[in-house]
Amino acid sequence: MSFQLFIFYVFAIIMVFAAARVITVRNPVYAAMFLVLTFFTAAAIWMLLEAEFLAVTLVLVYVGAVMVLFLFVVMMLDINVEPLREGFVKYLPVGILVGSIMFLEMVFLLTQRYFPSENFPAPAAKPANYSNTEELGRLLYSDYLFHFEVAALILMVAIVAAIALTMRRRSDTKYQRPGLQVQVKKEDRLRVVSMDTESKS
Amino acid sequence: MKFIYTLIPLCPLFAAIAAGLFGKRLGRVMSHRVTIGGVAMSFLLSLIAFQQVVLSGNTFNESIYTWMVSGGIRFEVGFLVDRLTVLMMLVVTFVSLMVHIYTIGYMHDDDGYQRFFSYISLFTFSMLMLVMSNNFMQLFFGWEAVGTVSYLLIGFWYKRDTAIFANMKAFLVNRVGDFGFILGIAAVVMYTGSLDYEEVFVKAQPLIGQTMSIMGGFEWSVLTVICICLFIGAMGKSAQMPLHVWLPDSMEGPTPISALIHAATMVTAGIFMVARMSPLFELSETALSFILVIGALTAFLMGLIGIVQHDIKRVVAYSTLSQLGYMTVALGASAYSAAIFHLMTHAFFKALLFLAAGSVIIALHHEQDMRKMGGLRKYLPITYWTSLIGSLALIGFPGLSGFFSKDLIIEAVHESTLPGATLAYWAVLAGVFVTAFYSFRMFFLVFHGKSRMDEHTEEHCHEPPNVVTWPLIALAVPSVIIGFMTMGPIVFGQYFEGVIFVDDSHNVIERVREHTTGAMSMLSHVPGSKAFYLAMAGVFFAWFFYLVKPEWPAKIQSKLGFLHRILDKKYGFDEFNQTVFAAGSVGIGAGLWRFGDQGVIDGAVVNGSAQGIGKLAGLARLSQSGYLFHYAFAMIIGLLVMMSIFLFI
Amino acid sequence: MDNLHLATPEIFMLFASCAVLVVDLFLKPGQRHMTYWLTQGSLLITLLLTYGQVGDTAGTAFSGAYTVDGMSAVLKSWILLIAIGGFVYTRDYIKDREIANGEYYVLGLFGVMGMMIMTSSNNLLTIYLGLELLALSLYAMVALYRSNADASEAAMKYFVLGALASGMLLYGMSMVYGSTGSLDLATISQALTTSDAGSTGARFGLTFIIVGLAFKLGAVPFHMWVPDVYDGAPTSVTLYISTAPKIAAFAMIIRLLVDGLEVLSSDWTLMFAILAALSLVVGNLLAIAQQNIKRMLAYSTISHVGFLLLGMVAANPEGYSASMFYAITYAFTTLAAFGVLLVLSRNGEEAVMLDDLSGLFRRNALAATVMMVALISLAGVPPLVGFYAKLSVLKAVISAGYVWLAVIAVIMSVVGAFYYLRAIKMMFFDDPVDSSEVPARMDVNATLAVNGLAVVVLGIFPGWIMAVCVRAFAG
Repeated sequence: MSFQLFIFYVFAIIMVFAAARVITVRNPVYAAMFLVLTFFTAAAIWMLLEAEFLAVTLVLVYVGAVMVLFLFVVMMLDINVEPLREGFVKYLPVGILVGSIMFLEMVFLLTQRYFPSENFPAPAAKPANYSNTEELGRLLYSDYLFHFEVAALILMVAIVAAIALTMRRRSDTKYQRPGLQVQVKKEDRLRVVSMDTESKS
Repeated sequence: MKFIYTLIPLCPLFAAIAAGLFGKRLGRVMSHRVTIGGVAMSFLLSLIAFQQVVLSGNTFNESIYTWMVSGGIRFEVGFLVDRLTVLMMLVVTFVSLMVHIYTIGYMHDDDGYQRFFSYISLFTFSMLMLVMSNNFMQLFFGWEAVGTVSYLLIGFWYKRDTAIFANMKAFLVNRVGDFGFILGIAAVVMYTGSLDYEEVFVKAQPLIGQTMSIMGGFEWSVLTVICICLFIGAMGKSAQMPLHVWLPDSMEGPTPISALIHAATMVTAGIFMVARMSPLFELSETALSFILVIGALTAFLMGLIGIVQHDIKRVVAYSTLSQLGYMTVALGASAYSAAIFHLMTHAFFKALLFLAAGSVIIALHHEQDMRKMGGLRKYLPITYWTSLIGSLALIGFPGLSGFFSKDLIIEAVHESTLPGATLAYWAVLAGVFVTAFYSFRMFFLVFHGKSRMDEHTEEHCHEPPNVVTWPLIALAVPSVIIGFMTMGPIVFGQYFEGVIFVDDSHNVIERVREHTTGAMSMLSHVPGSKAFYLAMAGVFFAWFFYLVKPEWPAKIQSKLGFLHRILDKKYGFDEFNQTVFAAGSVGIGAGLWRFGDQGVIDGAVVNGSAQGIGKLAGLARLSQSGYLFHYAFAMIIGLLVMMSIFLFI
Repeated sequence: MDNLHLATPEIFMLFASCAVLVVDLFLKPGQRHMTYWLTQGSLLITLLLTYGQVGDTAGTAFSGAYTVDGMSAVLKSWILLIAIGGFVYTRDYIKDREIANGEYYVLGLFGVMGMMIMTSSNNLLTIYLGLELLALSLYAMVALYRSNADASEAAMKYFVLGALASGMLLYGMSMVYGSTGSLDLATISQALTTSDAGSTGARFGLTFIIVGLAFKLGAVPFHMWVPDVYDGAPTSVTLYISTAPKIAAFAMIIRLLVDGLEVLSSDWTLMFAILAALSLVVGNLLAIAQQNIKRMLAYSTISHVGFLLLGMVAANPEGYSASMFYAITYAFTTLAAFGVLLVLSRNGEEAVMLDDLSGLFRRNALAATVMMVALISLAGVPPLVGFYAKLSVLKAVISAGYVWLAVIAVIMSVVGAFYYLRAIKMMFFDDPVDSSEVPARMDVNATLAVNGLAVVVLGIFPGWIMAVCVRAFAG
């Protein structure tokens, strides 16, 4: 067993364990933290596969941004998780049954018999100065330009949808308009009324 | 030409759609202008078609549109425009045009003015589709379409119970005929594998001698079965005994449609169909004999009923039945060209008689009983003269169109050697006397003698407007001359060469040709003709009984009460149908309903399966719980099952 | 960047959608009709550009990610046409419910864009992205009716289940990619034909792909979202979901399974046969039990998806063209049916129950007639277009040897005829609950009339579309 393989198994075991804990721990904050751990180990495995850029992006985006957002939400909303777990035990047996059948089937399929590794030879190692990032960038702006654009479009739809769904302009809100306030003239506020003098009675 | 031929039926269709859907918006005047324009267009284009087909000799047979191909059978819309078709097209569009114009006057005060125009245009479209068809599917479409429109038209005044009864009756009786017709078409498809006329005719030849067993050990000739089934369809549409009962009742409809549908066009569809199928019918002498006998019975017996009718339109209706019988006899005797010739002349003079009757009815404010007419000659001169022409043509007065066609049929039957031909000959010969008698009975009762109208009616009695009288004149002209002009080419010439097939062994026209060569020689035979003397005798007796001794008919009636009753009851067909078929089927229906329907079908099959399905649906509905995780779970299970199925199978 | 001109319709559409989005920002609430007309204008111009490609134009662009061929131009034209019709019907409905913001139109445009990309896709990634673009727009459109709790719930369900299905689809695609080493459909097909090495992996992936497809189409047992979403969503969005996306989903099936994995057709025909049979049975049976017309139409959709899949079961050009015909005609027939429902949903009232249809003929004869034509066509009565669609699918499936499927389909169509006829009976013979007249705009009336007429005329002359469908798969 080479050192690389050893490292792989370490990270892989941690990842599977963490992933399992995400759905088994009771406290949502812990669950989120385990998810961070899962992402992190996944990034490490990608690193082993020489996919540096993706590994770094995974950490930056998911760990750095998405999970932090998650944690904020979980902590701020103080979700009562107990009701969510109702029926967990009730459905557990069925779930385990289905899950294990599926697991067995996949094991059956993905074993050596149907997926002989000689059919999938490992790619040749890249030279030391090979830049993962540069290659990705080149592909992204040439062969995958169309996909890149469509992905951008999807993000735009997401933004439009998010804003449309969350922004509420309430009709009864009162707010100041400084521009108008500054432009107020005397005539707008003050009315001089001429009256007849009144005689003392 | 394809375009022009397509346009011929489409013009009335579009006009019908315009008047039917946008009638209110178009208004009365625009509606009738649009529909009359459409039909006039068709007529003019038919003239072009005549020029193409008859004068230039370009027969057209192409499919216009393939709807679908299923199991090797093509369902198409296609036109076969040959000499027979062109003749029918001209007759249909011309009479339809006259009727359209006439309708302006007849329906003037009716609320359903636009609706009526839309219907008759739609009818014209259906009829043209029927005659122009080059395949059985389109023929059947046209067949059903004319039936449906005629149902709508007979029940046009849908608030009258009698009209509703009449259209229901027409519809049901025609269903019986259609049932035979569709069985015939099905047999054609089964044995030839095609719907196209040409192919069918070619493939029919090897069928001679082939038999099929329908029930038990009886072996039937395939062609005879096909022909008789098709003819049963024709019996329904062309009102032959015993499926004639709907036609007299259908006089409940407005008079213009009686002229259009029940005289000139729809009822002749059966005659046309048999002539069109002559290559099939010629192959089965049994079927021809059957047709001959049915036609002969209809021609004679229906004419007799005409003698005792009092309703002016019903007299004309029975006369139509009898004349259709003549045409059928001609078909049975293999004198197809004579049948079509009579069809054409009859279309003109019978439409004329109907429209003249309509004119009388308008003048008398919708009075149809002849006992309340009389002496109308001085009030309705145009109607009088045109009626006279029509009646003379009908009885076959020498020189007028009916003379040529009817005498020809009698001669042809005389020459026929098929079983039943002798009976048919005497029946049609006697029919001539009967025809002359009832025609002039009606004529004298209506126009001569003393007026039996009430004073109010008499005061307001005057000739109807021009839109009514012009079509009468326009129809009277061909009633006089068309026979003399066209007899030579149509019957004795080569007109139907290659269109109508007659087997040499029963080519009666050929035999007639041996002693008669054309219209002139026909006229020269008049002094020796039995038919002529019989017709004259009929007119004489009518004159004697109804003008000289008007009290005699009543006396004879009381003396020969039972005979009169038989005729008055129309041989009891209606009663028989009512008591046996209607009541019987109601009885059987009730029985079946109680035991079969309610018990077995409703109880077990329908309700049972409905309840079963309902319960099943209810159960299945439970799966739609609304819970997201149920749904997701169902998907996972689905995935699992799919995976297992395909991995392990 | 070769052949960029092939993508002119999409490129124009992108700019136009963005323009609508920006212009809408500067419009006052009273000028909202500008957004409507801009939307329709962009769709119309895109339609013209796309229609120009119908015929001989073919080729790929963007390094093979995007393709134009006989099928894509035709399907895209129909998608655009149906979208235009849909917006005509939608206009007043969304105005009444105050969801007629620019976002509604923009999301609608982006959804159409997604469908076009799916139709023109030539590689796994393009298909997926197009699908997501469409799906995301749909989720948002369902949720847009914020004041309605049902809509929010429906959106939630749709989103979660849709994400699950997308995950499965993506997983399947990754397996196919892993086994064949390519995202390009043609290359995948070639790899599978030339060597047997990747076939097990591809078959494994195929299962997941089919699940993803079945979900998008709403085939049983992946149909659970359909009734809830159809019912919960605003009717205008239901109309949107139930029409054009079906055509796009059909295109997606063709792309993935015929262009890419046709080698495995012996596997996927079996799966489709099962899905089709289940959809036909469950869809028609459950439709009977519905009192809610939107749910009824939802189950009817499921049953029609069964028919659509039947054509695919035949796995030959005849079957594909029959399915294509089915998808197109189904889309515009349903368009008419929902169009009528939108006409009925006026003044803040929703026409959702079957009872709302009763006596419709007396309230709005045109709408009732169009609805009748649409329902009869859906029931498959000749000579309307639905009959011919069913017939050609059945013919294909019988000639492929699946007589048992055809028998199920016919029996279930008879069952299905019941609920369609019940609705028709209510419209024409029952007394209306509310006898007030239902007015509709001139343009809505005109569109309804054209739509209803199309169902009739194309039934009598099905050759017009059928020829195009056959040509799309010829050679």
